[in-house]
Amino acid sequence: MDALLTSWLRWPSVERLIIDHLWVWGVCQSLHFVGMVLLIGTVGMLDLRLLGFAKELPVAAIKKLIPWGVFGFVLCLVTGFIFVAGMYANINVPGYIVLKSDVFLQIKLVFVLLAGLNLLAFYATGMSKAADRLQPGEQAPRLAKAIAIASIFLWMGVMYFARLIPSGKFQP
Amino acid sequence: MLPLLEWIENSAVSTALRDSPNVFLYPTILAFHTLGLAVVVGFSSAVALRILGVAPALPLPPLRKFFPLMWVGFWVNATSGVLLLLIEPTKFLTMVDFYFKLLAIVGAVFCMRWLYRRVFLAGVAGDASLPPGAKFVSALLLGLWLGAITGGRLTAYDDTHTQWVTAIATLVVSAVLLALGWAAVRVWRIVHPMKGEQRHGRAVDELAPLAQR
Repeated sequence: MDALLTSWLRWPSVERLIIDHLWVWGVCQSLHFVGMVLLIGTVGMLDLRLLGFAKELPVAAIKKLIPWGVFGFVLCLVTGFIFVAGMYANINVPGYIVLKSDVFLQIKLVFVLLAGLNLLAFYATGMSKAADRLQPGEQAPRLAKAIAIASIFLWMGVMYFARLIPSGKFQP
Repeated sequence: MLPLLEWIENSAVSTALRDSPNVFLYPTILAFHTLGLAVVVGFSSAVALRILGVAPALPLPPLRKFFPLMWVGFWVNATSGVLLLLIEPTKFLTMVDFYFKLLAIVGAVFCMRWLYRRVFLAGVAGDASLPPGAKFVSALLLGLWLGAITGGRLTAYDDTHTQWVTAIATLVVSAVLLALGWAAVRVWRIVHPMKGEQRHGRAVDELAPLAQR
């Protein structure tokens, strides 16, 4: 099982691409940050509005910015996958080993997952619909505020733990 | 100059910050540099996108409230940036790329201040009264932030050639992504004509008096 995952997640073609063209790694890193900026800028704006910041903004209008945040998330997902798949080309340790042993990467990924579940909760509990009806100056329901706080906390955690990944231990 | 930099680099504080395995030292400073980046670049980019015509139903005046937050993010990064610089001054200050990064940040801050004064302090209520150049400055801001981010990433490489190749590749890939995105939106608009957007467009006028207060 380990051997299978090691070779599958290692994706020799991605590894080869990075070995042959060093710029792929750097471009992906920059795009990972660009994606992060788009996600945090738009989702952060929505979260803060739900918490009562800049209440004059109608929530339904802020949501029109969210597709840029989704685009940013996809950018992060694709480039993040390239980091794991091509890890060996950069640090001579297969991505699978880092996934398996670096506690900071694991915490980051759990936080991403929790942020996803939090978003799901935003829709499933009807808070998204309720937020759409908020007129300028109106307060969001309590549950929507709780979800917004969780979103801010989780995304900040994602960024914090992501930066600790290189300091983690990657022992097989 | 170099002896001074070496003295800083070899000082007890720099050495401790650099070599300590404690994740609350160097990695945490780096993490704060990223958190601040997300706040200042994130919110200013969202505002720039709005001025460029994304989410036209979003009233402009209340967005002014995000500027103080952007400055908090900026100062978090100025502080963490100086600390990161003091850890390895001979590396950063002898690197052309690092000066490109600083120039891009200076330009971006200039764009943010321009937008703040000419759009938000000036009390622009809607797209029709945006000053000439507002869209240009917004696009420039996004481009300068891309430059600053790329410049920052490139400090990880120690040869100028790789830095140039990666910088050019970043520009090309970003341009291709933008072009593809633009084409995709065009196709989407043809398939789904903008009835919804126009409805929101009318809502803007209704909200404008409220937003001005």
